[in-house]
Amino acid sequence: MPLVRKPSSQAPAAAPLALGEGTSEQRWSAVRAAADRPDGLALLADALSRESDPRVREAIFTGLARLATPESAALVVPYLRSDDANLRTGAVDALRAMPQACRPHLPTLLADGDADVRLLSCELARGLPDEEANRLLCDLLERETERNVCAAAIEVLAEIGRPEAVPSLVRCGTRFAGDPFMIFSLKVATERIAAPARDRR
Amino acid sequence: MNEVDPVSQEELRAICEFLYRRTGMLFGEAKRYYVQRRISDRMNALGIAPFRTYFAYLRSDADGEVEKFVNAFTVNETYFYREDHQLRCLSSDLLAERVRAKRRGEALRIWSVPCATGEEPYSIAIWLLENWPEVDVQDIEIIGSDIDTQCTAAAAEGEYGARALMRLSPQLVEKYFVPAGKDRWRVVPELRQSVQFSSANITKASETRQHGLFDVIFCRNVLIYFDDASRRVAAENLFEALAPGGFICLGHTESMSRISPLFEVRRFPDAIVYQRPLIGGNGAGGKGGHSNG
Amino acid sequence: MAETASKRILVIDDASLVRRYYRDALERAGFEVDEALNGVEALEKLLAEPADLLIVDVNMPQMDGITFLRSLRRQAPPIASIPALVISTEAGPHDRRAARTAGANFYLVKPVAQDTLVQHVSIMCGLSA
Ligand SMILES: C[S@@+](CC[C@H](N)C(=O)[O-])C[C@H]1O[C@@H](n2cnc3c(N)ncnc32)[C@H](O)[C@@H]1O
Repeated sequence: MPLVRKPSSQAPAAAPLALGEGTSEQRWSAVRAAADRPDGLALLADALSRESDPRVREAIFTGLARLATPESAALVVPYLRSDDANLRTGAVDALRAMPQACRPHLPTLLADGDADVRLLSCELARGLPDEEANRLLCDLLERETERNVCAAAIEVLAEIGRPEAVPSLVRCGTRFAGDPFMIFSLKVATERIAAPARDRR
Repeated sequence: MNEVDPVSQEELRAICEFLYRRTGMLFGEAKRYYVQRRISDRMNALGIAPFRTYFAYLRSDADGEVEKFVNAFTVNETYFYREDHQLRCLSSDLLAERVRAKRRGEALRIWSVPCATGEEPYSIAIWLLENWPEVDVQDIEIIGSDIDTQCTAAAAEGEYGARALMRLSPQLVEKYFVPAGKDRWRVVPELRQSVQFSSANITKASETRQHGLFDVIFCRNVLIYFDDASRRVAAENLFEALAPGGFICLGHTESMSRISPLFEVRRFPDAIVYQRPLIGGNGAGGKGGHSNG
Repeated sequence: MAETASKRILVIDDASLVRRYYRDALERAGFEVDEALNGVEALEKLLAEPADLLIVDVNMPQMDGITFLRSLRRQAPPIASIPALVISTEAGPHDRRAARTAGANFYLVKPVAQDTLVQHVSIMCGLSA
């Protein structure tokens, strides 16, 4: 047999260096190791505030998502406000990966002064228990003036919506009566929720 | 049979969208009937009704429900020469590209993770012996790993039933197996020795790192079952386990698009595979907003 | 109808209702529609099977629309030259310029009525509207 038999084991990656230093390869290894350390949260927080390499930043986000505590989520939340669209998306992806940890932050996020933050937070509500998500999103729909934020809330309600969400959806529809996409989405969402599944055995 | 339709069209659409977002599997109108049947089966098996309740149960992934549901649409049985178009891609394109990138005499390393009961790594070995002209002049290491040590122990034994061998021609079975009782076959010793088995949890960097750097990784039919956080960690671990320029093959219903922007997508005549970028390793092509355009 | 049927449109947007809205309009007009929910998936799908036109959102997870367009234009020929219609919530001149520079052929601001969409898609596919 020509296939060789013994694995030639290669040296494992170098031991973690101080975060924020060295080449991006070294910083990547360091932040990857941080989540396993007892002081990981502080290390990652520090690294996130300084890191500019997108790949290393992704690894920091992954580390924070692995910790999945309200504290690690709190570190990611401010990046929802970033001017850098890519950083915002990175933050949402990270938060989406820790639905439980986001839970305490959502009521505030959905009431944030920045419409972009409210919009991105609608998507995070998908990870909450249905009842809670319905309540939060309906509250938002009742007061929300930004079309795009409403659209994001409807997108989520189209999946998780419960019958008690229908009145809020209907009221929202009256505000966007001239908008063909909003009419379409509201119709789909309400049909889904109201769709009386035919009789079961 | 008097099947009662338990799900409305809109509810069916909602569940299809959920599955699409979660797994990347897109069920068009034509497949909806299949989805519907599966929903009824699961609702009956669990004693859950109405649909709304089942859908909430599925979304919460209680008791691994997503995996159970998804299994209906994927072949969750592993067998020899499964998805052989990827094996063809390996012998016609991937290895040649890796050989060019290596120093003379450096071994080519291939990792089958998860390898389950070994069908996949043995298939790679057989395929290369049969189809790769350079197999005699290159050093090749094939390693199979799985989190389940019972599986890897069985893999090292290398004994299989007729179902696992169904895709192999009688000639191949004759050549690489010896009969081991009624409807059982055992991989010949030389082939067994050419594949190493080990245990590895792909979500644990400490475990994946021990395996060194690979030229090609087969990671088929496992990521689809992970939650977002585990997928991200696994993708980073696999990225680290790949030599720059190395390739990763996923199962045919799987896609990196739900998981990570670390890799580049490459198209070859026989398969679409992902590659760790050669330089900089800065695969975060999708993020970071550098302005190169 | 006869000519639209041969045209394959890939809709790239992370919102399922937006994809549904476009699909609904385009299928009624006779187009064949496929979907992707971010740029990475779109590239995968195009590598497997090219499309005649892309409808691209800007803000998406994993790979946003602008990065997707840049990466698209760097692909091998048949894929690199597929026309792309960007439909975004952003109406500013800066956003339009960014999309144009990245390789967008046309830019529309949401909301877009279904018949407007069909009209633009038909023209961009070289069909009379
Ligand atoms: C459906 S099998 C796939 C086998 C083979 N790759 C194929 O496609 O036929 C899934 C395997 O993943 C293994 N597995 C599950 N979680 C794992 C993890 N975290 N790390 C490594 N293997 C894992 C299971 O033990 C099981 O053997």
